[in-house]
Amino acid sequence: MGKRSPLTPTLIVIVGLLTISPVLMLLVGSFSEGFGTFGNFTVDKYVEAYTDPELTVVLWNTLIFTLGSAAVATLLALFLSYTNTRTNIPFKFFFGIISIVPMMIPHILFAVSWVLLLNPSNGILNRLLMDLFGLKTALFNIYSLPGMILVEGLLDLPIAYLIIAPAMSAFDVSLEESSKVCGASPLRTLTRVTLPVLRPAILASVILVIVRCIASFAVPSVIGMPGRIYVLATHIYRIISTGFAADYGKAAAVGMSALAASILLIYLYRYLTSESGKYVTISGRGFKPALIDLRLSRYPLMGVIGLLSFVLIVLPVMVLFYTSMLPYVMVPTAKAFSQMNWKNWTEVLRDPISLLALRNSLTLGVVGATLGVILSILVSYVIVKVRTTASGILESLSFLSFSFPGIVIGVGFMWFFVRTPLYATIWALLIGYIATYLPYGIRPLSSAFVQIHSHLEESSRVCGASAFATLRRIVIPLLIPGILSGWILMATMFVRELTLSVVLSRPGSEVLAVQILRFAEDGLWGRLSALGIIMIFASSFLVIAASILGRKLANREALEM
Amino acid sequence: MEIRIKGLTRDFYSEGKRIRALDHVDLAIPANQIFTLLGPSGCGKTTLLRCIVGLESPDSGEIVIGDEIVLSKERSIFVPPEKRGLGMVFQTYAIWPHMNVFDNVAYPLKTRNTPMEEIRTRVAKTLAFVQLTGFENRPSTKLSGGQQQRVALARALVAEPKVILFDEPLSNLDAKLREETRKELRRFLTELKITAVYVTHDRVEALALSDRIAVMRAGKIVEVGDPKKIYFRSDSRFVADFIGRANLIKGRVVTLEGSHAVIDTEIGTIVGLNSQRIAPGQEAMLCVRPEFIKLAATDEAGGRNVFRGKVETLLFTGEAYEGEIRIGDTPVTTTISPTVNVVEGGELYLSFDPDHCFLLPA
Repeated sequence: MGKRSPLTPTLIVIVGLLTISPVLMLLVGSFSEGFGTFGNFTVDKYVEAYTDPELTVVLWNTLIFTLGSAAVATLLALFLSYTNTRTNIPFKFFFGIISIVPMMIPHILFAVSWVLLLNPSNGILNRLLMDLFGLKTALFNIYSLPGMILVEGLLDLPIAYLIIAPAMSAFDVSLEESSKVCGASPLRTLTRVTLPVLRPAILASVILVIVRCIASFAVPSVIGMPGRIYVLATHIYRIISTGFAADYGKAAAVGMSALAASILLIYLYRYLTSESGKYVTISGRGFKPALIDLRLSRYPLMGVIGLLSFVLIVLPVMVLFYTSMLPYVMVPTAKAFSQMNWKNWTEVLRDPISLLALRNSLTLGVVGATLGVILSILVSYVIVKVRTTASGILESLSFLSFSFPGIVIGVGFMWFFVRTPLYATIWALLIGYIATYLPYGIRPLSSAFVQIHSHLEESSRVCGASAFATLRRIVIPLLIPGILSGWILMATMFVRELTLSVVLSRPGSEVLAVQILRFAEDGLWGRLSALGIIMIFASSFLVIAASILGRKLANREALEM
Repeated sequence: MEIRIKGLTRDFYSEGKRIRALDHVDLAIPANQIFTLLGPSGCGKTTLLRCIVGLESPDSGEIVIGDEIVLSKERSIFVPPEKRGLGMVFQTYAIWPHMNVFDNVAYPLKTRNTPMEEIRTRVAKTLAFVQLTGFENRPSTKLSGGQQQRVALARALVAEPKVILFDEPLSNLDAKLREETRKELRRFLTELKITAVYVTHDRVEALALSDRIAVMRAGKIVEVGDPKKIYFRSDSRFVADFIGRANLIKGRVVTLEGSHAVIDTEIGTIVGLNSQRIAPGQEAMLCVRPEFIKLAATDEAGGRNVFRGKVETLLFTGEAYEGEIRIGDTPVTTTISPTVNVVEGGELYLSFDPDHCFLLPA
């Protein structure tokens, strides 16, 4: 029924507009002479962009930055998932926390907290170490490629962990056992059996982290730019936001290669994850891997995990809160604590631009996530339940934006919006957000649809319920968990969104993350921290409100007749 | 309640090709019996069941349940499933995971706006019938396979439907539980005296459960009859072969002897039941099941329906030997008592029971 309904073509048009048009406009823009002047096609911008001697340095930095971060995130994820699934390490719930909670802390705040700790002039940790050892100069300089790699690697650890941990727990231990029976040493078993079998998961993790690093803007802007280390994202930002004339054509020309690389990598990732079924052997016989007894070494290992959760979750929030109470950044001493006050907070709460940014971000979070989830419900329905050739097209289209580097696609949207009344409004941001983050709504919803076997609906019909009653009593209550996680995921991402906003946000359509970036550029760390904590509260508030509402709805719809 | 089906046709299109799932099916399902649709996968049995319940709309034909026309393509009548007042047990059970046992079973009554007091008593009664008393508040995700199956049955029964339909309800249970549930289901349904339509591809299940069986193949009903008729005196070669293990031997009818006929085959002349009255001179197929080929004593050699054969293989299965015996060039499968002293390569005499050899049109 409904095979010829207009739903699928309509959705293809909407999703196509959202995902294809910025790419097309980016392409058109890169061949155009000036911003808003279509028709005069030229390759000047490409010549200009790619003969720039700076670009070689930028590309080299980008390569080191992405590969380094991917290595840090993947190695840490391998270590964590191995100790979690294969050893008798105590307090295993820490692993769940490490893999989920850091997603709640916005990347820009995480980067800022490391700047506050490790910058060479007044970094808190640097100062402490200098006092402790009587040093003349700072021990660490966060404004460096290794600094960027460390912070970005930690930020992407949850993603890497979420890819590698399931592969590790699905690993059939008898593969290792048979290697041991064949007489191989533990090291040989690890390098010849365990790692090769996990190779697709490891590669998938590396590729996904690389794509995220190409798109990453928080770390390169907060940590890289003060150290004059530019990567592709910040190079594009420099082209459009500094100097007298922002050159959107040149930015588009540079952006094309970042976009092409990302799309290529994402399709490689998709290929790898669809092939991985061949490698990952799931015996399904309820095997229990023999846990390695760590004996005494479990305590130092435990310490490492504890430290990691502290560094990932507690430290950034602590540093921000501490800084928000101080007139300037200083080492925690009695003197510092005596100078604490709420001045930064009151200033932020009186600052009209910060308040506007807060209001805009909350609006974008609530309205954007709601619209995004509605679109995701329809798209997931077509992908999972209708399953025609056209729905395959829709799936590929909606997956496309997964690979979009925010700043590049932002430039594409700029070319798209410049001639419309949407230019410089928060609706431009809203459309951009939904287009870029659509896959994050579709994923939880399509898995929710997959779980609703058609028999569950049919059985309700046979029991005497109409199609509408079936939708209300059976389908929607079963979808609510998916709707809820899709909404929460989108809302929290929208409240903190930086990379797209940095291009699309104009005076009047400021958002929280962009305002935080402005504070960072001006060195107003106290106000930045206060606004940062407000931002964390705002997104936590949305998460809690949505969960409560979702649970109530689920109970009521299912049982009230 | 009786179900009458006339000229039901349903086509599916897959990759540009037309697949006829139902091909002008005519069928009368008698009231208050267990009626089974049996056939290999893809024969259209599930499609037929889904047409009866209203989840599938056929391209042409008519379905009448009791006195009500629930479907008529000619007269553009289509009663939606929720208005047909039937009960159905799905292959996956389709127990709603967000409701507990009580809410699952109460659902059909709630959709009919039954007063809460009555819902409570009827759910309790139905749960008692399927032996699930005390499970009311159990979350449905915390049920074993067998319990889910009984909740699904209770839900299908609670509103006292005109007809109850089963779509391979035992195929998700393990072998031992399947046998127990089969017996239980037979008891439940005979006690209720309700019209039940049951779909399965398992011939043992069909024989054990049914009052009548309809065997389907490629969208058509091949044969309808009670289990014994289908097993012992099928009219069709396909059915005879599908319903149990069978030795099929080609031949030509020589003479008639009352209800029997003498047929000339490649292993010799055999006497068999000729219920289809195949005339002398015509080609025919002799069908005999392994359990009706018995070992014969040596002194019976040369007698009627007795042949000499050589043991090719002998498989010990516990209850019996399964022997493949070559008579001339024709291999024949038999069941031999496990206590008999036979060896592979040995020679023996086999006797074909004339009342259980039956002739089919070639």
